Amino acid sequence: MLVLTRKVGEGIIIGDDIKLTVVEIKGGTVRIGIDAPQDKKIYREELYAQIKAQNRSSTGWTLDDLSLLSGTISRKSEENK
Amino acid sequence: MNVIQSRFGEIEYDPQAVLHFPHGLIGFEDLRDFVVMPNEKDGPLFWIQSVEDAQVALVLTDPTNFFPTYMVEPEVHERKVLGMEGEDKWHALVVVTVDTDRKVTLNLVAPILFAPHTNRAIQVILESSGYSIQTPLPVIEQSAGKPNAKSGEGASEKTVARG
Repeated sequence: MLVLTRKVGEGIIIGDDIKLTVVEIKGGTVRIGIDAPQDKKIYREELYAQIKAQNRSSTGWTLDDLSLLSGTISRKSEENK
Repeated sequence: MNVIQSRFGEIEYDPQAVLHFPHGLIGFEDLRDFVVMPNEKDGPLFWIQSVEDAQVALVLTDPTNFFPTYMVEPEVHERKVLGMEGEDKWHALVVVTVDTDRKVTLNLVAPILFAPHTNRAIQVILESSGYSIQTPLPVIEQSAGKPNAKSGEGASEKTVARG
């Protein structure tokens, strides 16, 4: 991993179209500004990892679950309307 | 018609009708094609089965069944991935998690945007939306004695308040 030391206000350029700027350092927290093209997906790493894990744990259901739930859930959504 | 294996047995499907995820799903980036399976029972749940991996099937629902104001618009680059043009319609769907004790949650942070015109879909992440990846279904208050129950536990949960 490339490690660079930066001060507040200094930046890092990645390729032609991504720029990171250190906006603020406070306590143990760093605020980073990111300029990147719209089609570059930017997420906090842990959020991405959580969604990955959630998707994976969403594949463990059974057809029994589905038919059982369908009864209760359809009633709920009707009441909600 | 083609035939694939699934956790639930053999599934026959029309290859023209598969739902195509050009980027796969988050955590399943290699899985691009899914067969849409209607639920045998009535209700808002249905499921999609991966064509490429028999083990992967996900339950989906239209979240507006539970959270009527939930709305996600595709961004410009997402419209491109979906092959959307002009006034083409889209739907936001969410992944349903059924945990081992049959507790059901919806992932409102990572909806699947679906363009019916092209049969393409993309899972997007809503950064800083305040939604939860494990949003419980809204509780319908039935007991007449507790008209203000809503202001209790659910008040800090934005998703519940919105629903």
